[in-house]
Amino acid sequence: MSGQEETPGNRLRKELPEELPATPAEETETTEATEESGAPAAEPGLTGRQRLVQGLWPPRVTRAQLIVAVLLFGLGFGLAVQVASNSDSDSALRGARQEDLVRILDELDDRTQRLEDEKQGLEKQRDELENSSDQAEEARKQTVEKERQLGILAGTVAAQGPGITMTIEDNKGTVEADMLLDAIQELRAAGAEAIQVNGVRVVAGTYLSDSGKSVSVDGNKITAPFRFKVIGNPQDLEPALNIPGGVVQTLEKEQATITVERSDKIVVDALRAAKRPDYARSSSQ
Amino acid sequence: MIAVLGLVVGVVAGLLVRPEVPAVVEPYLPIAVVAALDAVFGGLRAMLDGIFDDKVFVVSFLSNVVVAALIVFLGDKLGVGAQLSTGVVVVLGIRIFSNAAAIRRHVFRA
Repeated sequence: MSGQEETPGNRLRKELPEELPATPAEETETTEATEESGAPAAEPGLTGRQRLVQGLWPPRVTRAQLIVAVLLFGLGFGLAVQVASNSDSDSALRGARQEDLVRILDELDDRTQRLEDEKQGLEKQRDELENSSDQAEEARKQTVEKERQLGILAGTVAAQGPGITMTIEDNKGTVEADMLLDAIQELRAAGAEAIQVNGVRVVAGTYLSDSGKSVSVDGNKITAPFRFKVIGNPQDLEPALNIPGGVVQTLEKEQATITVERSDKIVVDALRAAKRPDYARSSSQ
Repeated sequence: MIAVLGLVVGVVAGLLVRPEVPAVVEPYLPIAVVAALDAVFGGLRAMLDGIFDDKVFVVSFLSNVVVAALIVFLGDKLGVGAQLSTGVVVVLGIRIFSNAAAIRRHVFRA
C-alpha cells in the first residue's frame, strides 16, 4: 500500500543484510509478517498509525512507491476483470472448471428430462380434456338434434316440408269425430310426420270427440271446414286418401266436399306445450 | 499514496477496458487475485510494523501469485482442482484475516 517513506532513498535496502530482529517492544504480540522478512523498523518511535499517515500524505515519488503502485495496478486490474467477467450472467460458466461443467450439464439434462416428462403428461391430459370436450360437444349436438326431431313428433316445435293440404267442407254437419279420426289414422299410416287440424296440432295423444255440431280435438272445438295440413311424402299421402273405400269416398258419401292439394312447402306451426308424464318414466335411466 | 492511486487506476482500467480473459489464464485469475490480496495485506501490515521493504514485497507478491496459480494448475492436472483451489483460498483467507487483525491493532489500537 505504501512505501517506506521514513527511509529516504534506498537507505533501508542497504540496511537489509544486517537482519535485525523486527520486534519492537510494544508489538511483540504480532506474529511475523508473512511475506516481509525481518527488516528493522527504521524509526521505532513511530506508531503504526503515524506510519500509515506518513505513507499516505504527503505523496512522495519513490522507487518503492512506484513498484508497489505497478503491482497494485495489476492487482486492481485483475480484480476488476475477474469481478466483471464473473458478474456477466452469460459468461458465468466461462470460469468454471471441467468437472463442474460436466456436473452442471448432467443436472441440466436431468432437469430437461423431468420437464420433458412433465410436458408429455400435461399434453396427454390436454388431449384427453380436448377429446372429452369434443365428445361432450358432439353429445350436445346430437341431443339438440334429437330434441328437434322429438319436438316435431311431440308437437313442441314447428315443422315444415312437403306434404298436402286436405280441406273437408261439411255443409250438412254430417262429419263426425270418428271420420276425422279415420282420416288422421289413414294419414299416419301413409307416413304423415306432422299434422295439424284447424290450428290444433295432432300428436300421439290427441283425442277427438263429438261436441254437439262441432268436433273437439284435445278439447279445442273446431268447426267445418276442417283444414288438415300434413307433412309427409305427397305421393304417398294423396293416394292413401283416395283409395277406393277410403277416407275421401267415405266422407263424400256423407255429402262432404273434400279437396286435396299437394304442396312443396307445408308449414305446421301449431304447437303443443310439452307435458311431463305423471306416471311413465324412462326406463333407460 | 501513489500505490493507492495505482490500485484505484487499476480497478478503473479493468472496469473500463473489460478485456477478454484468455481461456488459459481463466481458472488461475481468481486464485491469483486472492493471493495478491494476501501479499498486499501482508505488505500493509509490514508497513505499519515499520519493517516494509519494497523488494520483499515485490518478491512475495509475485511468488504468491505464481505459487497459487501453480497449485491450481497442479490440482487441475491431478483431478483435484476444485478441492485444491478451495484449500488455497481457505489458507489465504486465514492469512488475510490474521494480517487484517494486526493492521487493526495498529490502526485502531484494539
